[in-house]
Amino acid sequence: MNAVDGTDRSERKDDAPSPSLLTIILDTNPFAWSLLGTTLPLSKLLANLLVFINAHLAIGHANRVAVVASHTGRAEFLYPVPALSKPTSTTTTNGYSEENHDIDTDADEGEEDIIHTSDDANKYRPFAHVEKTLLHSLQDLISTTTAKSLANTTSTMIAGALTLALTHISKTTTPASLPSNTTDSNNFTPTPLEPTEGRGLGAANARILVVSVSGDLANQYIPIMNALFACQRLHIPVDILKLAGDTVFLQQAADLTGGVYIAPSDAQKGGLLQYLMMGFLPDAVARNILVSPGEGEGVDFRAACFCHLRVVDIGFVCSICLSIFCEPLQDEMCLTCGTQLKMANYGIEPVVVPRRKKKRRKLGGTIDADRGEETPGSAVGTPG
Amino acid sequence: MSSTASLRALDYLEQLPTTTFNKLYTQPSTCLAIFRRMLPHLAKTLVLSLLYMPSPFPTTSLDIWVKPDADSVSANDRALSILQRLRILSEVQDAGRPGWKLSEAFSHSLKQALTGGGNHRSFGVPCNTVDATPVTISYLDTFARNQWEAILYYVVGSAHTGLGGRNDTAAISPGTQRLLQNGGFVALRNRQAHITQSGFTFLLQEINAQIWTLLIVYLEESVGLGMEPVDVLSFLFTLGSLELGISYSTTNLTPTQARMLEDLSDFGIIYQNPVDTTRYYPTRLATTLTSDAPALPSDSSLTTVTTTTTAHNSSAAGGEKGYIILETNYRLYAYTSSPLLISILSLFTSLRSRYPNLVTAKLTKTSIQSAIQLGITSDQIISYLTTHAHPLMRAQSQAAQGSNSTSGPILPPTVVDQIRLWQLEGERMISTPGFLIKDVGSPEDFEKAVAYAEALGVLKKSFGQGDGKGRQWFFVTRMDQMSGYFKAQAGRRKEERERRERELGGGGVKREG
Repeated sequence: MNAVDGTDRSERKDDAPSPSLLTIILDTNPFAWSLLGTTLPLSKLLANLLVFINAHLAIGHANRVAVVASHTGRAEFLYPVPALSKPTSTTTTNGYSEENHDIDTDADEGEEDIIHTSDDANKYRPFAHVEKTLLHSLQDLISTTTAKSLANTTSTMIAGALTLALTHISKTTTPASLPSNTTDSNNFTPTPLEPTEGRGLGAANARILVVSVSGDLANQYIPIMNALFACQRLHIPVDILKLAGDTVFLQQAADLTGGVYIAPSDAQKGGLLQYLMMGFLPDAVARNILVSPGEGEGVDFRAACFCHLRVVDIGFVCSICLSIFCEPLQDEMCLTCGTQLKMANYGIEPVVVPRRKKKRRKLGGTIDADRGEETPGSAVGTPG
Repeated sequence: MSSTASLRALDYLEQLPTTTFNKLYTQPSTCLAIFRRMLPHLAKTLVLSLLYMPSPFPTTSLDIWVKPDADSVSANDRALSILQRLRILSEVQDAGRPGWKLSEAFSHSLKQALTGGGNHRSFGVPCNTVDATPVTISYLDTFARNQWEAILYYVVGSAHTGLGGRNDTAAISPGTQRLLQNGGFVALRNRQAHITQSGFTFLLQEINAQIWTLLIVYLEESVGLGMEPVDVLSFLFTLGSLELGISYSTTNLTPTQARMLEDLSDFGIIYQNPVDTTRYYPTRLATTLTSDAPALPSDSSLTTVTTTTTAHNSSAAGGEKGYIILETNYRLYAYTSSPLLISILSLFTSLRSRYPNLVTAKLTKTSIQSAIQLGITSDQIISYLTTHAHPLMRAQSQAAQGSNSTSGPILPPTVVDQIRLWQLEGERMISTPGFLIKDVGSPEDFEKAVAYAEALGVLKKSFGQGDGKGRQWFFVTRMDQMSGYFKAQAGRRKEERERRERELGGGGVKREG
C-alpha cells in the first residue's frame, strides 16, 4: 500500500536543470587594452571568451548568451545585435563621413561571412552564428571609435553596461507576451527562454560576467552600486574576471551578489581559458554542489565619497541619507538631501596631552643601526 | 531532458565495446550530442573543467571541490559513474596519485566542436546548389508529423480497429512495420497486428522519447542488416546538429548512411525529394534529436489561449502538449480533434461525447482496469496525463502553491491515488532485475557498502535493519560499480594487513638492535 502514499503524489521533479542566461560585459576600453597589449591582447581574450561562450551554449540547448561592450563613453550590445543598426551599419555612423567607406566594406564582408557560416561543415551552426555576429559587431564598434571620441573620457561605461545587461535579463526572463519572432535569429527581440512548467524562468538562472581591464571606477560609484543592488535583489550573481587595473567596487560587486571574483596574475593569464572554464562556467545549479573559488577571502569594502568620488577609508556620513563625504562640508548642508548638518566643534583642535618627547638619540640610533645592518644582511642572504 | 529517452539511449550506448566508443568519439558532432544529451548537469561542468587541463585532475582535489554535504557528494558520485560508463572519464595514476582523466578521443573531438577546428565535416555538408523545388519549414513540419503519426496510428490502430477514419492513413512502409514488430511494439497474430505492452509504453511516451526508442530498435536491427553501427549512430547525432530548412548534400555520406536515408525518411526524420536524391532536408524531428525542444511544435494558440483552438488544428494533431483537463470527479476534457490522440485516450478512459474541438471522457474503474489488463501501468497513465495536462491545470497548481518554489500536484491527488489503487487491486508485486549481494563481511562493511550503493542510486532494497540485525543482504540494480567498490575494499584491506605485518617485522628488528 505504500505505493499510494501521498508523498509520491506531487509531480516527479524534473532533474534537468532549467536553462540559464549568461550575460558577459566586456570592457573594451582602448586605453586599458593598449596597456595590456603585451601580456594579453584583446584578440587572445576574445578567442578564449568565444570558446567559453560555446561551452556555455553546449551545456544546454536552451542556454542563452548576451555580450555587452562597455566602451569609453558608451555601452553597446555586441550579441544579440539590435535589429535597427544591424542591416545598415552605416546609418549610425553618419557623423564620421571619412569612415563611412570603411565601414561599408566591413559590413559587406560581414554579410558574406554570415552566408559562409552555413557552408562550414566543421562548426556547429549556433556557435558559428554567435561568433560571426560578435566579431562583426565588435569590429563595428572599434571602427567607429575615433580619436575625437576618445579625447573626452578615459573611463569605461561599466555602469551603463550593467544596466543594459539587467534590462536584457529582465526582458528575457519575464514570461514574455511579446510577439516572439523566433525564425529570424537576428531579430533583437530576445526569444524567451523555454518556460519551465508554463512560467517564465526566474531571474535566478541569469548571471552576469564582467571582464574588466580598467581601474578607477570611482566616478561611477553611485550608478554602479545602484545596479548592483538591483542584481542583489533579483538574485543575479555578478562574476568578475579582473585582468588589469584595480577597483574595489567590482570585488564588492561579486561579494554583494554572491558571484565569483578572480584576478589572475600576469603569469597566470596564459591559462585564462582554464580560469573561465573552472571558475565561471558552473551555473547556479552546479554552484550549489561545487565550492566556488575565492569563498571566504577578504573583500575590500571601502566606498567612494559622493563629493569628490575619492575612495575613502574614513569619511563623513550624513545621518539622514547616509551619503558619504570625504571632508566636512563647507556650508554644513548635505549635498544629497540638503539636511543641515551642524558639527559644532569639528575642526577645533582636540585638547590632547602633548606627547612625551622620546629620547631621540638612543632610540633612533638603535633603529638606524638595526636597519643598516638588516638590509644588507637580507640582501646578502637572498642570492645565497 | 526527457529522462526516459536519454536513459534508453544511455543503456544502449553503455553496452557497446570500448573500441566502438573510441570510433564514435572521433566525430565532434557525436561528442557534442552525447555531452549535451546524455550527461547529468554536474558531469557537464566537470567535463568542461577537465577539458583544457593538461594533466589528470587529482581525485583528492575533486573531493575538495565538491561541497561536503550528502546531496552534493551523491550527485558527484552519480556524475562520475555515468561518465565512466560512457568511457568519457577514467581513473589514472599520475605521479603516484590517482587522478581523473578525460578520454583522449573524446576531449580532442569536444575541443574541435567548441572551437570549430579541424576538417571533419561532421556537422553536415550543406548543398551549395539551389534546389529546383525548394521546401518550406512548414511543409517539413507537416511531412514529419504525417509520417510519425502514421507510425503511431499503426501501433495504436492495432489495439482498436473500431475507430473509423484511420484505415486510409495507415500506410507505413513494410520496413517500418517489420521494425515495429521486431522491436516488440506490435505482435502479429493471424496476420493481424496486435499492440503489446511495450507498444503501450512507446505510445504514452513523449515524442522525443518515442523517436529515440524507435531509433535504438533500428540500431539493433541495423547490425543484422550488415550496417556499421558506428556510422548509424554518428549520422543520427549529426542529424541532431543540423539546421532546419537547409538542404544538405548526400555526397559525402558513407554507404551505410546513404542506405539509412530511405528509412529515416519513412520515419519522417528527414525529407528527401524523390526526384532529386543528391540532397536531403532534416525535419524538426531530426534537429531536436539532441535537444529538449518539443519535436513537433504545437499550434501556438494551444499553449497560450484555450478557447480559440478551433480552426488551426482541425486537420492535424491537436498539438504535442497540454490538452487534457482532469477534474476531481474523474471527468476528463481533452481539447483535441486528432483521431490519434482520441484513440490513445480511449485506451484508458471511457469516452462520452465528441465536439468539433473537444472530447469528454471519464476515468472509470472498468476503463483503467481494462487498460491495465492490456499491459499499461498506472504510472504510465499518470505520467501521460501529467505531461499532457492543459496549461490551465499547471497554472492552477502553481497558484495553489503560491510562493513555494516546488510546484504542487498537477493532477487531482484523489484521482491519481485512485488510479494506483485500481491497479493495486489486480497486482501486488513489482519485479526488478538486479543483483543480490550477501556475505559482505562485518556489519560496518555492510553499512558502508549499502551507503555507497545508495549514493550511486543503484540500491533497491537493503535487508539489514541496522546494528547488525536482520539479514546482511542487499539488492542492487547494477553490479559493475559495486564490484569495483568491493575490489577496492579488498585491496585496501590487503594493504593494511601487509602494513601491519611489516610493522610487526620492523618492531622485531628494532628489538634485536
